[in-house]
Amino acid sequence: MHLQSIPLLFAQIATPDDIVREAARLQRNYEFLSYGLTVAWAILVIYVLFMVSRGRKLKREIASLKAMLEDRR
Amino acid sequence: MNEKSGWGDYILYLLGAVVIIILVRDIYVIARLPQEAQQGAIFKIIFFHVPVAITAMIAAAVALVASVLFLITRNFRYDALAVAVTEVGLAFLAANLITGSIWGRIIWGQWWAWDARLTSALVCWILYAAYLMLRRAVEEPTQRATFAAVWSIFSFIDVPIVIFSIKWWRTQHPQPVFWGGGSFPPDWKAVFLWNMLAMVLLAIVMTVVRVRQENAQRELDSLRRTAHAM
Repeated sequence: MHLQSIPLLFAQIATPDDIVREAARLQRNYEFLSYGLTVAWAILVIYVLFMVSRGRKLKREIASLKAMLEDRR
Repeated sequence: MNEKSGWGDYILYLLGAVVIIILVRDIYVIARLPQEAQQGAIFKIIFFHVPVAITAMIAAAVALVASVLFLITRNFRYDALAVAVTEVGLAFLAANLITGSIWGRIIWGQWWAWDARLTSALVCWILYAAYLMLRRAVEEPTQRATFAAVWSIFSFIDVPIVIFSIKWWRTQHPQPVFWGGGSFPPDWKAVFLWNMLAMVLLAIVMTVVRVRQENAQRELDSLRRTAHAM
């Protein structure tokens, strides 16, 4: 796996069309990277929010049932 | 709230804060890393795609152990752990499948390929989703926990297939970077391992919260039975 910070060699031998195509490819790469990370984080965040809402509902139901049982006693 | 639960909350918040700090730092570091020569920026999705997959597989293994322990001991604490870790693992596996699909769209030119790795991972997700559906379908708690434990053990058969599918069959999915002959620059490896740690810690925090909810659900069921009996 090779890393390159700036594709200098490419810039020297490429035609203007190649450079435009490469810029479009890089743009598309970044777009899809952002889509991927956004969707993945959204799944985890939605799951956390779902857990928080379920936790609140459980606490509410337990409190109301306990109060009802106290009243009956 | 008793003293033990207070300390538990404190540790949980602390772990959550550590996870957020590691992840924010990692996002900053990953954004500054150079692009991979052949794949470009999209390759950086590996820092998320692989850690969530490994975390999901660890969750499946924990669910297996908890299910076996429930069948041996009939202790509902293990059932609570199994359902909690399965649900969390399912969320991580969903994130893995979706990031993989987006990565594949750029590199392969298609959203999905029915190769052994992708198909077995999807089957794994369906099996564990079925585990949660099964739990909703059975009313009686002991029967529900027993059926679910057996289903969880059965579902785990797919996990080694997911992991080793890329070794056993020729797949469109590439070989793993770490044990497939590839290499990672040392600074990339460090970032990857930090992200891996953050994902595992995040899964632990989520699982603990979910276990508490399962215990609260059991308390609620018990209160409902008392209310009916009165």
